[in-house]
Amino acid sequence: MAATTDTQHEEQSGTDGPAAPAARRRGRAGRIVARTVSVFGELLITAGLVLGLFVVYSLWWTNVVADRAAGEQADKVRDNWARDRVGSDGPGALDTKAGIGFLHVPAMGDGDILVEKGTSMEVLNDGVAGYYTDPVESALPTSGKEGNFSLAAHRDGHGAKFHNIDKIEEGDPIVFETKDTWYVYKTYAVLPETSKYNVRVLDPVPKESGKKKAGHYITLTTCTPVYTSRYRYVVWGELVRTEKVDGERTPPKELR
Amino acid sequence: MYGWIWRHLPGNAWVKALLSLVLAVAVVYVLFQYVFPWAEPLLPFNDVTVDNQ
Repeated sequence: MAATTDTQHEEQSGTDGPAAPAARRRGRAGRIVARTVSVFGELLITAGLVLGLFVVYSLWWTNVVADRAAGEQADKVRDNWARDRVGSDGPGALDTKAGIGFLHVPAMGDGDILVEKGTSMEVLNDGVAGYYTDPVESALPTSGKEGNFSLAAHRDGHGAKFHNIDKIEEGDPIVFETKDTWYVYKTYAVLPETSKYNVRVLDPVPKESGKKKAGHYITLTTCTPVYTSRYRYVVWGELVRTEKVDGERTPPKELR
Repeated sequence: MYGWIWRHLPGNAWVKALLSLVLAVAVVYVLFQYVFPWAEPLLPFNDVTVDNQ
C-alpha cells in the first residue's frame, strides 16, 4: 500500500523535476508531509490491528490455554482419586495443592469446574474456580464445619467458567463433588450487582443474602456486566444434603 | 513503514510476500506469548474477586 504511494510520489517528483525551484521546494516539503502522514496512518492501522488482536487473545486464546490447563489438572485430580480408591479404603489426606473437587452447576451448562485453593490470577487463569483465602477465608465443605464456601472464577476469557452465572436462578442446584462426597446445595439468593469492595458477601453468615444463622453456605462470585470488571455478581446457596460417592461415581439426581 | 519493509525484503514479489507472512506470524506470536499476558493484568477487564483494595 505504502509502496505504491511512494512510487507514485517518486514518479510525480520525477515529472515535476524540471519545474521552477519554488515548485520543487514545495514538492519536497509536500513529499515529507506525505511521508509523515503515511507513516502516522500506518501506525494507527497497526494500533487498531493490535487492539483487535488483543480482543481475540482475551476472548478466545486465553480460553484455549485455560481449558487445556484445567483439563490437565482435572485429569490429575481424578487419577489421584481413582488411585486412592484402589490403594486404600481409608480417606486419604486432602491434597489442597491440587484441586479439592469439582463444581457442577447444571444451570450454567454441562461440565465440571475444578476448584483449587486461592483466588489469585495465577490460579484462576488456569480455567478453574478458586476458593477464597483472603480477605475472608472460605470454609471448606469437607471440614464439615458451618461456614461459607466462597468461590470465584472468570466471567470471560481464561476458561470463562462462570460466564453463564446469570442463568442461575433461585432453587437451582449447585453440586460440589469431592473424592467421596457429593455436596448438594440449593441456590436461595442472587445479587446481580454489587461493589467490588463488598467483601461482606463472603462472610460465614452472608447477611445480605437474608440469612441470620450459621449454616453451610456456598457463594459464587464473578465480575459483571460481561466483558468488564465494574461490579460483582454473587450467587448464594445452602447445603441441602450430602451423598456418599459410590463405586461408579453415580451423580446425585440433580445432575441426571 | 510497511513500504520500507517491503522494499528491503529480498527476492521477487512471491518471496517478499512469503517473508511478510512469516514476519506477521512472528509478530502475532510475540504479542500472544509475551506482550498480551504482560499487559492483561494492567487492564481492568478481568478482576473477578471481591477485595478490600
